[in-house]
Formats: sequence, structure tokens, C-alpha cells
Amino acid sequence: MISKRPSHPSSLRLLRGLALSGVLAAGLAAQAQGVIRIGAPLALTGGLADEGLKQQVAYDMWLQRVNAAGGIQVGAQKMKVELITYDYQTDPKSAQQIAERLITQDKVDFMTAPFGSGHTKIVAGVAERYGVPLMASVASSESVYDQGYKYLFGTLAPNGGIVQNMAAMFTKQIPGVKKIAILGREDVFPRAMATEMKKAAEGVGLEVVYNELYPVGTLDHASSMLKIKAAAPQWIFVTGYTQDLILARKQMSDLKLGAPIVTMITGPSYREFIDGLGKLADGVTSASWWHHSLTYKSSDVFGSTEAFYKAFVEREKKDPDYVHASAAAALVVLQKAIEKAGTLDKAKVRDALAATDVLTFYGPVKFGANGMNQGRELPIVQVQAGKVVPLFPTAIAAGTLAAVAAP
Amino acid sequence: MVYLQVIVNGLTLGALYACLAVGFSLVWGVLNVINMLHGSMIILGGYLTWFAWEIWGVPPLAALLPVAAALFLLGWVLQMTMINRLVSQPVLTTLTVTFGLDLILYNAMNVVFDATPRRVTLDLGTVALGPVVLAWDRVLVFALALGLTLMLYVVMRTSRAGRAIVAVRMDRDAAALMGIRINRVYAMTFAIGAGLAGACGVLMAMVFPITTNLSGLLLGKAFVVCVIGGLGTVPGALVGGLALGLIESFSGHWFGPQNAVLIGFVLMLVLLMTRPTGLLGRKGYE
Repeated sequence: MISKRPSHPSSLRLLRGLALSGVLAAGLAAQAQGVIRIGAPLALTGGLADEGLKQQVAYDMWLQRVNAAGGIQVGAQKMKVELITYDYQTDPKSAQQIAERLITQDKVDFMTAPFGSGHTKIVAGVAERYGVPLMASVASSESVYDQGYKYLFGTLAPNGGIVQNMAAMFTKQIPGVKKIAILGREDVFPRAMATEMKKAAEGVGLEVVYNELYPVGTLDHASSMLKIKAAAPQWIFVTGYTQDLILARKQMSDLKLGAPIVTMITGPSYREFIDGLGKLADGVTSASWWHHSLTYKSSDVFGSTEAFYKAFVEREKKDPDYVHASAAAALVVLQKAIEKAGTLDKAKVRDALAATDVLTFYGPVKFGANGMNQGRELPIVQVQAGKVVPLFPTAIAAGTLAAVAAP
Repeated sequence: MVYLQVIVNGLTLGALYACLAVGFSLVWGVLNVINMLHGSMIILGGYLTWFAWEIWGVPPLAALLPVAAALFLLGWVLQMTMINRLVSQPVLTTLTVTFGLDLILYNAMNVVFDATPRRVTLDLGTVALGPVVLAWDRVLVFALALGLTLMLYVVMRTSRAGRAIVAVRMDRDAAALMGIRINRVYAMTFAIGAGLAGACGVLMAMVFPITTNLSGLLLGKAFVVCVIGGLGTVPGALVGGLALGLIESFSGHWFGPQNAVLIGFVLMLVLLMTRPTGLLGRKGYE
């Protein structure tokens, strides 16, 4: 079932890549010398296909730029980069096998982690065993990083930071917020966010009137929404993936359930959330690790947030979200570490990664002792008239918090 | 009266379940083929609806017939070219074939449509009947789902093709001896099943974000509905769907969303052990 897929920009070309894979595999072995090999297990099919494709696009944007510039400077020589990707079909077991295969058979120098905290944790165990530096771009649950792993580095900042700022800011800006309802998806990241929100809400003195999890694959949120309606909270906080959140928001409207604050993590960060909801998206707040309205300037292959945004829109004809940015940033940071180490030695690159303190197009990256990107002021956003408007940090705020219109 | 709302939610959800199971049940009952493609066909119908709406501004209702017809055609071709050759094989063979076809369709949709959740953002508003709030699109979907199921029932009861399908289901050999062209009936049945999947996709697109990720879930629901309601009968799918919708709605209300789906499956297991024919199934189709 394992298929070898060299990385290609468009998903249509994947098929062609599949057909060519045998030829390429033979070619790869011949030119293994002088090439930096990065292994990437991706969810290109299955439940997380949408997200896996995003990582693939971001990796490819980075790869094209790096190779166009002659490769990565390793000591005295420039080395081209080869990205070896496999589709792990959103199956954790398969992700584990593929990680093993990338390390033992494809002999990759470095690896990127799959989408999400759950799958990252699995692959991190394998990478640690073999001492291969692993760049995680979409894992933000601290439970992934508290395993004592030395080779795992993540570009997302901890979950908790996201909601703490939010709780403090929202309760200050919209008076009369006393009760909050929390509905989370039974899945690593969404569940962690729901838990963090409960802590943060209680921290600012809110009463949590509803706190439930819904299982993966829920096709109906009506009974949850009905309970929430009865509890009459001023803040409704829902976590999940885009399809869950679109459905939840729609069913809120179906049942005439409203609140001055409706927060969905991480719905509004995705263009398809707004496209799929139209007017119903207006007023929904969210927090994210990155937004394209940020204004960082950097010395990496992209140059600035704005340059990354423009290059992305030109290529994909849509807005990038934090997944794209974080995935590209993970490889940018790896590149910087390889350059600094001046070698492909895994332990030395690992040490260079641990000492990372750089400003990238994505923002500052500095790993803590657990390998997680530390302390950034994460953006809080709100959908206003169909557009994502940053409300926080103050330096990039383009609007102020507005209450959601009554249903 | 919160229970009234719970019942209404359950019924609107249940009608959708019935609609997504009825084509699946028909194919299983008549052909003894477990059509693993069914979920992906529904999603394909949903995507076609969304694209028609997004690109040409075709409202989902107007897309209902063309989309159903397109899927009907696809079903006919698949059955004539592939499944008819295997239909007398053990059920595992056809299951494997439709599973393979499903992988192809599913991945082709991922490549072409990007797996991005897409929804027809046509919000028709709500209506309040006393304490009960109803979304118009859900009401519409409820009516259409019931209508489609009823239409199938009438077709099966009164039309020549329908009577032929029922005859083949009851006794294939005897039907062949009576001059019924079995292959044609099989193709017709499979095509009707596919057409219903397409129609259901249209309805889904009106209330759900459509994404390829849903296809396995929908297939799972179709299974449960068939087991609860009984295989191969139209009223069985209807009763099974409505029952599952109500069960999920009430268990969600009483035991929280975490347990709603679980309880549906537990009841399915209980039913399998105590009444393997399902609520309305007849002996011989379990």
C-alpha cells in the first residue's frame, strides 16, 4: 500500500509522479551524494487530506526557492535538497511505518512531522529512536513536547497562550460576559484547546455552563446547541476542524442560538470557513498562530510575510493560512540550522536547532527546552464583513472587537 | 417544551439518514452487492451541486434532477461494464470491487476538488412554531427526502421496472424463467441506487459542508440504517433512518454528544442479536 511520491506542486501532478516513482527512486539512489534528503510523511488522502495538501504546497514553495538558489550552504559546498514524501492516508499506524521506512530505507537526513498533535507524537517517537531531527509544523499540544524528546522541534507556540489572551481581552472589551459554553471535538488538538479554554475562562472568573466533547465524525450538533441555548451563555466557544465548525455555526443559526461572542478554533483562519458560511461567519472570533496581515521582515528565502503572502496567492490563487506558513517556516528554520551547523551531522544540526533564535517571515522562532516555539503574541482575529481582521497584538490590530449580531 | 425540539431535530436528521440509506439498501437487497461506493457517490452528487451553484448560480433544487440523472448514468455504466460480470460471485468479491472503485472515486475527488469543505451558502432562514425553531432548508430537505423515498416506493410497487426488480429480489431464477432480463434489472437497480445517492448528495449540500472526508461516515450511517430498518425494503430504510435520527437526537440530549453516536451503534448491535432482519425486514434478507 505504500507508494512513493516525489513532491510536486499540484495535486494533479501527483498521479504522474506516482507513475514515475520507480524511475525516480532508482535515480535518487545514484545521486544520493551531495543531496540533502528530507523525509515528509503527509496525509494526502483520508480525513486530513485537506491539511496534508497544505503542508505539501508549503514545503514545495520552500523547496523550489532553495533549489533555485543552488541549495543549502553546508560548510564550503552548496547542496540541493530532495524532499521524499509518502501519503500515510491519515492512518497513524501507517505514519509510524512510513517514518521508519524514511529513516531506515530512504536514509533521510531530516524529517518533517505529519499534521496535528496526535500524528506528530507518533512520528516523534520514531525520529527520537533514530536520532533524526524532526520539524513539526502543525503540532501545538504541549503533551507532544513533554516526552523528553531531544530531536523534536515545533514552530507553533503552546495552545494555552492562544486562549489566555483571548479571555482577558474579550471579557474586558465586551461587558456583561459572565457565562461561557465550551464544545470541543474529541481529538488531540481541539480537546486540548477546549481544556485550555475552560482553565482560561475560570481564570478570569467566567462560569462554564456547558462543557462537552463531540466525537470525530459527528454529523449533527443540534442536541449540543439546544443544551447551550438553554444555558444562555454570552460566549460560545467551539473547537474542531473546518467541516465541524461550519456545521456547528449553521446549526446555531438553525436553532436561533446566539451570543455576543462566538469563538471557533481555528475556523476563521481558513478561507473555506468564511466561504462555506457566508454571512454567518461574520462576528466569529478566533485565534491563530499566524495571519497574512502580519508585517515581519526576514532574511530567509521568502524575505517577509508580505512576500510569502504574494508568492502564495500567485501560485495557489487563495490566501495562505497558518498551516501553510508554519510548514514553510519549519523548513526555513531547519535550513538556518543546517547552515549554522555547517554539516549534515544529525546531532550537530539538532544542537543548532536547539540554539535557534531567528526572525522569519512567519515571525520569531526560538525553541524552548521542550522544543516548542516560545512566547509569541499570537494574533486574535475576527471575521468582519467577510474579511479576517486582526484584533491583537495591538501593533498589527486593524479593528476592534464587535459583538456578533443576534440570530 | 424542549423535547418537541429534540423530536423535530431527530426527524429532520433521520429523513436525511433514510435518504442516504435507501439506495444502498435497494442495491444490497436486490443484487446482494454491498456497494462501498455509495458514500463517495453521495459526496460526488454534493460536489456537483456545489459547483453548479458556485459557477452557474444553479439553485440546489434545480440541480436535483440533473445530478441524480448523472449519477444514474454512472451507476448504469459501472454495473453494465463491471459489476454484472461479478454479480453471481460471493458477496466478498463484489464488496472488494466496489471498495476498489470507491478508492478510485474518493481519491479522484480529492485530487480534483481538494477535499476542502464546501457548502451552498443559501440560508433560507427559520420559522418558529411556538417553542420549536425550524430551519427552512432542513424542512425542505426533510420533505424532499421523504418525497424521494416515497417515490421509490411507488415506483417499486406500480411500475413494470419496479415489479421486475421486486421479482428478481424475491427469486432470481424464477424471474429469469418468466422472461425478465436479469442483467437489465440489475443495471437498473444499481443505477437507481446511484441516482438516489446523487439526489441525496444534492440534499446534503444544502445543509452540510461537503467534503470527501464524509464519504466513509455516510457509508457507515447507511449500514446502521439498513441494519436497524431491515434490508432491501423502502419502508425499512425510512423507518431505520428516522429511528436512527431520533435515537441520536435523544441520546445526544440525555447523555451528551460524546455518547450519541455510540448509543446508535450499541442499539444496532442489540438489534442484530435480537432481530437480525431489522425492524421491517423480511426473513431471508438478513
